[in-house]
This record gives sequence, structure tokens and C-alpha cells, in this order.
Amino acid sequence: MTQAAAPAAGRSLPAGPAPAAGRPRRRRGRAAPYLFVLPAVLLFAVFKLYPIGWSFLLSLHRTVGGTETFVGADNYVRLADDPLFWTALRNTGVILVVQVPLMLALATALAVALDSTLLRGRPVFRLGFFLPMVTGLVAYGIVFSVLLNKDYGLVNWLLGLLGADPVPWLTDPLWARISLGLALTWHYTGYNAVILLARLQTVPRELYDAAAVDGAGALGAFRHVTLPGLRPALLLTTVLSTIGTLQLFDEPFVLTGGGPDNATLTIGVYLYQNAFKYFDFGYASAVAYALTVLVGLLGLIQFRLLGEKT
Amino acid sequence: MTDRQPARRHILRMGGGALGGALALALTGCSGSGGGTGGGAAGDPRKGSITVWSWQGPAAELKALIPEFNKTYPDIRVTVEDIGNPAIWDKITAGLAAGGQGLADVLHIGVDYLPGYVEHFPGAFADLAPLGATAHKDAFAPGLWGTVSPDGKKVNALPWEANSAGFYYRADLFERAGVDVDALQTWDETIEAGKRLKAKTGVHLLGIDKPASQPDAANFFQMLLQLQGAFYFDLEGRITLDSPEAVRAMTLIKTMNDAGLVSDLAGGWNALMSSLKRGTAAVLPWPTWFGGIIEEQVPAEAGKWKVRLPPAVRRGGPTAATVNSTHLAVAGSSRNQAAAWSFVEFALTRPASQVRIYRGKGIAPALLKAYEDPVFHQPSAFFSGQRKGEVFLDALKAPSPAVNYTSDYARALKLVTDAQSKVLLGGADPAKVLTEAARELARQTGRKAAR
Repeated sequence: MTQAAAPAAGRSLPAGPAPAAGRPRRRRGRAAPYLFVLPAVLLFAVFKLYPIGWSFLLSLHRTVGGTETFVGADNYVRLADDPLFWTALRNTGVILVVQVPLMLALATALAVALDSTLLRGRPVFRLGFFLPMVTGLVAYGIVFSVLLNKDYGLVNWLLGLLGADPVPWLTDPLWARISLGLALTWHYTGYNAVILLARLQTVPRELYDAAAVDGAGALGAFRHVTLPGLRPALLLTTVLSTIGTLQLFDEPFVLTGGGPDNATLTIGVYLYQNAFKYFDFGYASAVAYALTVLVGLLGLIQFRLLGEKT
Repeated sequence: MTDRQPARRHILRMGGGALGGALALALTGCSGSGGGTGGGAAGDPRKGSITVWSWQGPAAELKALIPEFNKTYPDIRVTVEDIGNPAIWDKITAGLAAGGQGLADVLHIGVDYLPGYVEHFPGAFADLAPLGATAHKDAFAPGLWGTVSPDGKKVNALPWEANSAGFYYRADLFERAGVDVDALQTWDETIEAGKRLKAKTGVHLLGIDKPASQPDAANFFQMLLQLQGAFYFDLEGRITLDSPEAVRAMTLIKTMNDAGLVSDLAGGWNALMSSLKRGTAAVLPWPTWFGGIIEEQVPAEAGKWKVRLPPAVRRGGPTAATVNSTHLAVAGSSRNQAAAWSFVEFALTRPASQVRIYRGKGIAPALLKAYEDPVFHQPSAFFSGQRKGEVFLDALKAPSPAVNYTSDYARALKLVTDAQSKVLLGGADPAKVLTEAARELARQTGRKAAR
């Protein structure tokens, strides 16, 4: 899965970096490697591992009248029965099924276009498509909410010039979902395109020449050379996008606050509401753990489906 | 204005069933009491350095008060920080969650947040009773004391502003439509007048944040409820979201919306301000403090605006309701509690301070003695020569039933705004969505329904 140096043949990636020969040196600085990783491990333990463990403990507690009570799996039982949690899951699922494939298809098309020698000024385009990724999440959320404002937004003003009625971008449940999808696509397509492009550049030109000799047209070459060559990068972008979507928080929080009427409520937003609006940290922790399990499961499935043949 | 105490009731009781201060636990091992106040006051009442958190207008007024304060207390250094609203609530929550770390010494807190903080974060606020707060018990509208001191012993905060439901309107527009606003007795009549207004002037009757981009989207609904003496919870903390009063209030909103009288304030505060400047709605059903905002935002419209108390929901019913109040609390974690208290006392119990603040930003004091000042009884040029201060003072003196916010107010509010969005955006049936909301609230909180 690393996009390391170009392999000899397009189909198979190196299994991993060649093992750094180090056997003879094993005895000498035995402690050194551990010392080198120690800061990272310490930081991880303090800022990640400890909260992860603590939040699991929290998820087994409920606070009643200022005191902690151990309630076992109660929070998880409540979760299974919580319509809002299922709404959040469904919303997230819709984005996963609709927005992620569209975005990845777009990213693939972009990658192919940016790789093409027919395109002049490629670096400028590459930079241009990648730049949204560098924009702060909250900043671009606010910009989108201004652009998409129903009464004073630029988008509706432009539509108005064409004679269209104002679109309730953020205030109608269906349009709010579409707006959220648009914002996500704008922000992440370039990023995915760059990953795909990097991989694309490792596909040897000879394969295309061979395909041409065999009589494949542009489409045929895309199907039989480009796509198989992209497979590992497609897997990577799919997994990253899936995890990102499941943890989605900033965009709906800034754009719609999860509304209207929970149409854009994501698991992340729901978790935040329970923790920081209702002070229900036990329940919020249970939501977090349910989310973790989901991310793990989906990642596993995707590796199985897409990863096996690489 | 008067030595008699207005009969205004605003008793706040804390409901049980809290989901609470797990936060202390959540963040670090440093959990704990949030500074525990015990009995004695921390620090010197005449010396120290204190920080005050407030927002926008009130923050500016507190800042302006510092030079005067320093004449009496030259050795207390006061820094007022404008945290912004609603940002201040998250900031206070985070501070309390960290056991009081990083909190200011004096905190400006709304009535909707006070019970939640007190219940979820024991020790969050210093008990002001040992510092001398009890001496001022009768200085405020008596109902407010129940808000800051639910058990009558511990005093969590001191009341600052007391806001009554109001009805600000563009008199010139209604005049053009041939409507006598003073004669409107009920909201039903107001809706009919709104139809005429819309036909004649094209202006909406009022505005609501239909997709509920901010929680205060339910302010109007809540006011209609309180005008009927109802709320989300009863005094025992049981759920009353689906009461006949609530259905009636939501049905009124639906009727207005279906008649095309409600402009959309999607986007919250900014949308409200631009609607005000563009004149898209003729009525602003906002409480006392909003008058100052109107004067500030559209100074050129002086003489076009008027104010009255809102019409009744049912003919002959109440037209006065205390819809919210704000308070100053001293953080339990403060090292300078005594100095912080000196500032709170100076700002809130001294009529001259409150009169000054009222002159500045129109913030209505809970301190009764302040109303003796002529400023509350002068005609206002902006509001067409009306005595605006007296309009609201009448409301303050009218009986207003107890309101129980409980520690689950935030959950209730979210469910109410969702229900309202369903009605306004999807044309849902008020009774149906409110019943669902009540059931969901019961499921989330373990509270019982009143019916």
C-alpha cells in the first residue's frame, strides 16, 4: 500500500520496503531504537491511549445527581434503541454510498487528466485541485455557509441571474444533504486525485504501448491498464474516505449544525451534542466506541474486497 | 420607580435526574471539586486581580463600569473579556469540566444554563451567602431569588437582568395597512392583521429561524408557551412538551407560516440582524433587552418603531411573562472570590451602576431600586415618544408563573426546535410532532410525562 518507487511491473507493488539489513548491529545499541521511539510512544500513551481507555470506562457509567454509577452495558443498550443514533448512522451511510463513490470517480478522472501530457500547465492545475485540502475545515465551512445562504448567498444570486428561484441550500433537509456532499467533494476530491495521480505515475508506459498494439482503444486501456494499476491507491482512498466520512464532524457542525431536523446529523455531531451540550459523557463515550467498531468493520471489509488481489 | 415589590415570579427549581458532572472525570485525574468554596471567602475583598467573562453589550457595559469601581476599590484590577454569545457557554463548560481550570473569576450566566451547571458540576460556583449576598435578597424581584438560590441557603449567583416578553413593531407599516396595533388582544387577531399587512405592504408579520440553525429558534414558541403559564417541564420536573398549551402555541406558529406571514431567519443572529436592517418583518417578538439592539442597528428608523406587550394567546389571558434573566456568578475555582464578590456587588446591587448600564445598552435590571431613576420613565424618541421603560416595568410587576428549566433544558430545547422545523419546513402536525418529542425526551432523560 505504500506508493513507493515504481515497481518493475505495473501489477504488483513491492511487499514493503526491503528489510534494512541490521542483523550484525543487533547487539550494539539495543536500547537505542527504543529510546528513539520513546517520545512518540509516551505522547501516544498520554494523549491517545489514556483517553481511549478512560472513555471506555466512562461508557460504562452514568452520572445521576452528580455521582458516578456503574451501569454496565446500559449505555450500549440505550444506543441500540436510540432513533437519533440510527438517524445519524443512516445519514452517514447515505454519504458513504452516494458521495464517496462519486468523489472517487471524479478524483480518478482528474488524476487521469492531470497525468495526461496533452494538458499544459499541469503543476498549476495539480496545485489548484489540491489547495482546498489545505483550507481549514471551519474556514471553508463558513465560506460555504455564506455562499449557500438562501437570501444573500452568491450561489443563489447567480442562479437568480439565470432566472431560477432561490434554492434552500442549507435550510431544506434534502438540499442540506446535497450541500454537505458538495462541500465534502470540493474539499477532498483534489486530495484523493493527488494520491491516485502518484500511483498512476508508477504505471509503466510500456503497458499502454502493449495495450495499443493489442488493439485497445482509450477506454480499453483505461479499463485494462489504468484501473488495475490504480487498485492499491483506490483501496487507500476508499478506506481513508470511509473513515473520514464515519468521523465527519466539522462540516455539518459549521454548515448546518446537524439540521434541519437532523437531516445532516452525523455520528460525530451526535456525540458532541451528548457530551458538550447535555453533559452526558458516559453515553457520548458509548457512541464513540460504537463508531470505532464500525470503522474497524468497514475497513476490514474493504480490505477483503479490494485488497486481496494486490 | 416604586418601593413596592413587583409581583413577578420566576422560580426556578432544579429537576432531578441529572446526567452529570462526568466531565470532571472525563478529562483528567485532576477532577475534583472545582475549587470547593467551603464557607470562608478566598482572598481579600479589597485587593486582587480578577477577570470577568461576559458577551457583547453587557461586556462593554461592565468594562465601562471599571473606573467607577476603582474609585471605591483602587486595589482590585478588573479585566472584562468579551467571550461572545453563544461561545461563552462552551467555554464555561470546558472550564468547569477541567475542574475550574482557566475559568474567569466572575461569570455571566443565563437562566437557561445556570441550573445545568449547578447540577452537573457540583462546586462550580462559589456560595455567595457567606460573602454577604443574603443581605440583598429583597433587593431583587422576589421571584429571581428562587432562581439563584433554589434551596434558600446557598446562593449560586446574583441576578442582573430580568427580561419580559415584548412586542416591538414598525408602527409606520401597520399604519399603512390600516391596523390599530394597540387594539390587538390575541394572537389570532394579530394573524388576521398580519394578513392585511402582508397584502398591503408585502412585509412579513415576523421571522423565525425555520431550520433552527441556532437553539434560540424556539424563542417565539417558548414565549407563546410562557404567555399561557406553561413550559417544557412542570414544577415537579415532569415533561409537558405535549401539553394542550404547547400544541396551541405550535398551531399558532403553523397558522402564521401557512399564511405566508413568517420570514425565514435561517442562520441565527446574523440573519436576524440583516432582516432587521432590511425591514423584512414588521414585528420583533423579543424581550426587553432587544429594544437596545433595534436602536443601535437602525438608528435612522427613529420614530417608526413602537413597543407593547405581546397579545394574549387566549382572549383575556396574560400578556406578561418573564422570559429570561441573566446572572453573575463567582467561580468556585477563583482564588480571589472576595474581590470578585466586591465587583459583583458593586455592579448589581448599586442602583447607579444598573441605571448606567440601562442607559448604555437598555439592559433591564432585576434590581428594583434602580427603577426609581427617571430614565425608566422618560419618553423615548426612538420609540415614538413611548415610555418604553414603563411598558416593561408593568410586565415585571404582573404575575408571571414559575418556570422550571431543569438540568435537561438543552435536550428539551433541541427536541422542540426539531419539532418546530418539521412543522415549518414540512408542514407536520403540531400535536403529532410534540407528542413524539415528549416521548423522546422521556426516553433520553428517564423523566416522566405529566400526562
